[in-house]
Amino acid sequence: MSLAFDEYGRPFIIVEEQESKSRLKGIDALKANIAAGLSIARTLRTSLGPRGMDKMLQSPDGDITVTNDGATILEQMDVEHQVAKLMVSLSKSQDDEIGDGTTGVVVLAGALLEEASKLLDRGVHPTRIAEGFEAACEVCMPRLEAIADTVDTAANGHEELVQTAMTTLNSKIVHRMKRELAEMCVEAVLAVADLERRDVNLDLIKLDGKAGGKLEETKLVQGIVIDKDFSHPQMPKRVEDAKICILTCPFEPPKPKTKHKLDIDSVQQYQEMQEAEAAYFRDMVAAVKDSGANLVICQWGFDDEANHLLLKSQLPAVRWVGGVELELIALATGGRIIPRFSEISAAKLGSAGVVRELSFGTTHEHVIVLEGCAASKAVTIYVRGGNSMVVEEAKRSIHDALCVVRNLIRDSRIVYGGGASEIACSLAVAGAAEAVSGVTQYAMRGFADALDSVAMALAENAGLQPIDTVTAVKAAQVASASPQLGIDCLGAGTNDMKVQNVREALASKQQQLLHATQMVRMLLKIDDVISRDEDP
Amino acid sequence: MSQFLAPQIVLLKHGTDTSQGKGHLISNINACNAVVDLVRTTLGPRGLDKLIHEGRGKVTITNDGATIVQLLQIVHPAAKTLVDISMSQDAEVGDGTTSVILLAGEMMNKCKEFIEDGVHSQVLIRAFRKAGQLADARIREVARDIMGTNPTERREMLMRCAGTSLNSKLVSHQREFFAGIVTDAVLTLDADSLDVSMVGIKKVHGGSTTDSQLVTGVAFKKTFSYAGFEQQPKSFDHPKVMLLNLELELKAEKDNAEVRVNSTADYQAIVDAEWGIIYAKLAACVNTGAKVVLSRLAIGDVATQYFADRDIFCAGRVAEEDMRRVQRAVGGSVQTTVNHLKDGGADILGECGRFEERQLGKERYNVFTGCPKAKSATIIVRGGSDQFLEESERSLHDAIMIVRRAIKHPTAVPGGGAIEMDLSRHIRAAAVKIEGKDQLIMSAYARALEVIPRTLCDNAGFDSTEVLNKLRAAHASADGNHCYGVDLDSASVVDTWAKAVWEPAVVKLNALAAATEAACQILAVDETIKNPKSEQPGVPGPPGGGGRGGGMGGMMNRGGRGVRRMR
Repeated sequence: MSLAFDEYGRPFIIVEEQESKSRLKGIDALKANIAAGLSIARTLRTSLGPRGMDKMLQSPDGDITVTNDGATILEQMDVEHQVAKLMVSLSKSQDDEIGDGTTGVVVLAGALLEEASKLLDRGVHPTRIAEGFEAACEVCMPRLEAIADTVDTAANGHEELVQTAMTTLNSKIVHRMKRELAEMCVEAVLAVADLERRDVNLDLIKLDGKAGGKLEETKLVQGIVIDKDFSHPQMPKRVEDAKICILTCPFEPPKPKTKHKLDIDSVQQYQEMQEAEAAYFRDMVAAVKDSGANLVICQWGFDDEANHLLLKSQLPAVRWVGGVELELIALATGGRIIPRFSEISAAKLGSAGVVRELSFGTTHEHVIVLEGCAASKAVTIYVRGGNSMVVEEAKRSIHDALCVVRNLIRDSRIVYGGGASEIACSLAVAGAAEAVSGVTQYAMRGFADALDSVAMALAENAGLQPIDTVTAVKAAQVASASPQLGIDCLGAGTNDMKVQNVREALASKQQQLLHATQMVRMLLKIDDVISRDEDP
Repeated sequence: MSQFLAPQIVLLKHGTDTSQGKGHLISNINACNAVVDLVRTTLGPRGLDKLIHEGRGKVTITNDGATIVQLLQIVHPAAKTLVDISMSQDAEVGDGTTSVILLAGEMMNKCKEFIEDGVHSQVLIRAFRKAGQLADARIREVARDIMGTNPTERREMLMRCAGTSLNSKLVSHQREFFAGIVTDAVLTLDADSLDVSMVGIKKVHGGSTTDSQLVTGVAFKKTFSYAGFEQQPKSFDHPKVMLLNLELELKAEKDNAEVRVNSTADYQAIVDAEWGIIYAKLAACVNTGAKVVLSRLAIGDVATQYFADRDIFCAGRVAEEDMRRVQRAVGGSVQTTVNHLKDGGADILGECGRFEERQLGKERYNVFTGCPKAKSATIIVRGGSDQFLEESERSLHDAIMIVRRAIKHPTAVPGGGAIEMDLSRHIRAAAVKIEGKDQLIMSAYARALEVIPRTLCDNAGFDSTEVLNKLRAAHASADGNHCYGVDLDSASVVDTWAKAVWEPAVVKLNALAAATEAACQILAVDETIKNPKSEQPGVPGPPGGGGRGGGMGGMMNRGGRGVRRMR
């Protein structure tokens, strides 16, 4: 930070550790911030759209992620710069709220920053620009609502939902399977959806996966998959009409929590104790058996003695099941979690149609699948794929698709993708700008240009001539007054996105615009950056 | 040769830094100006924000004057005074923290020429005090009542005050929306105490700003839960609420106790006894008829499942602040034991109209509404990024304080620099009737007040001289309207009262008093003695330190050093 000098040329110290702080102010600060934001946006720009490219990211531990999900890329990039971090949180908040469109929101913010930078060069006051952008955003909201179509989510075997999910999967690595995966996602969401309240608790959909096999082997399990195996190799691998006893106590003699000491001073006493221990095991297994249970899920472990006894009394058991999974099982099977053996009763058991152990390929890896659960709402999508990178990316893609389907169930309005809605908004903003006087008009035009720039990025990534394509679509939209015309990224031969079935949830698009505008406004308001130089 | 030297008196420790006199005074004023420059650009609706990077990755983006000066860690002794008045303004009225720094800085600036001309600082101080009193009286005179005749009108008026405060913040675009939320939040409070701590602000990542909402009750984030929690019911109508400061877990009752077990039969008895203790506690909770059990401490998995089996909602590890608000909202008392509740004990329970768990963004929140005992409100702020949320929280806090102040002292003055211009005119008019130096000094004070409208213009990129000339003309005009302020849309003047830019009078009263005080205080200082130890360790010999030592106050020091060297 620069030193202040008094009249006598002596510097004075005003701020603690003044020398190690640096300060950037005024237009320089704005420019530096915009540059930082832009560099992030540029990274993501090539990932946008169905023909977008993936990024390979290597973590410090050498883990490799290959993805084109904006939020994941930014998260893994480990961004240091403060303003760049704002861009990261922008994409994250889109991810949290909507789950899709995380790349688009950053690209839009980048385009807005670029326009803002141009306006700043012309001497426009930054808050004026921000206000113009907000005004433009306000024009877009009703416009988006006006061009939105309401889809009948239930019609035609939920075809509309599948189509929308497919649009999301289009840009992902898994797109060769998009139809199958989209159907799976829709089925999963519908299984857990509360259609009356139009709410979906995505926590009930578990995404699990293992490397190996083919992507085609990915399947939806109407129940729960737990990554465990039966405690004894000789236990039956399949339990029909399972009555499940869910325990949070171990199969071993109970231990007081208070520090204790058992004094044994004779052989007789020792035998007594041994006898008592054995009795505990017998009683425990008997208690479970008597309740009518034919499967034990235990949060803790048990040693060989208990294991042997369980096998002998034909009680298959699963041990070391985590708390979260235990709760899911309890919810799905309608069972209660039982904290001690003395409380076991038939009423507390959960039930499932089939519980079976699945093994994969030649590996000795097993999972246990609970299907046909009594109170089932939980479902699991089990992803397979050639390597862990593909599995992880497929999981992310499926998550995005699930979110999209959920959003549609919440709000069944859609807009058409492929840049169609951006261009429609751009036209609306440009039109509205004409009616406004002053700097706002310029800022609004800038906003319209930024929206065009998103469409251009789509075209660019698809290997099309960006300017030719976008202007052609724009002209066509004006000529035909149809907001469904977008960029034909996939070379399907038509610009009509309704025909191509490229669609996005209205909520997602609105959030993108709102968030990007808000972020840019925040960035434009900063004219002073005071930072402490990090210690070398 | 010692007899030739005047006796040297070693008064201060080696390295002690002193400076004094006129030069010192000027130096102090300049230091204050450096601080003023830092916050100057944040004033007003067109003010800009500061991004302050504190190291260790913590970043704050703000345009709240108090927050900025606090984060800067100012060490200069005179400049610290400005930090203090800004903080006191924040504590006292919660808003106007930037204005107060600007005013104090400008007043001192105006003094500089007098000091250079040799006017004694006590004369300056006396005249400033006099001018301050005039300003105080004038504000009280022109302030208008905003009590309103009916609740709707009153709410409208309070909203205007809140809106003015929010105008300069990041959320300014949604200021009417937030002004409504803030006003409603404060109005739900108990009218006598207006305890602001009963208004909670919870930040939820994601969503649009306009998804923010006001919950007339208490809300807090879902706490950490154990297995079994999902099986509990998540909404109740008119539930009894039990508040505990008690661990409901199966655990050793005493940490350092040890049990000696003589036979295996006793062993089971001990285990049973331990279970008995926890079950007795749980049964006591259930027997009271409570449907919602909250505890400051952990509620373990056994208890969670026990409650789940009995259709009771529980939450452990509730933050103290949330617990207190719940307690004050629903009534009841926090229990540290439940053993005495064996029979009934319903009197310690609180009650609320409705309890439910709601999904907000990615998080789930526990929401209590319709609380009978105390009025409380929770504002849930939504927004895209953490920095945005934090700045929104600060802005809302300012607005809440403003509304609270406006309810307690229901008078307001026009904002946008209008009241400052009016005071300036008033003081100048009074000054010309006074003989002597005071006349000049009070006129200087009057000019200093113009810093607010001038900075407003500068920040908006207007020609401040031109606008100020228009303003002075407008205030001097015969119509007697004192409400002309800066119009930030058109670079001209406008009646800001009519434009609903209102500030509670108490904000201005406090700001002027604090600024005048601070200016007088710094003017009254003519010497600083700095103990070398007070320097931060680890700061390698500040380059300024030696320079200051060698300046005005250097003579004595140098002498002192010389004596030391001779030994």
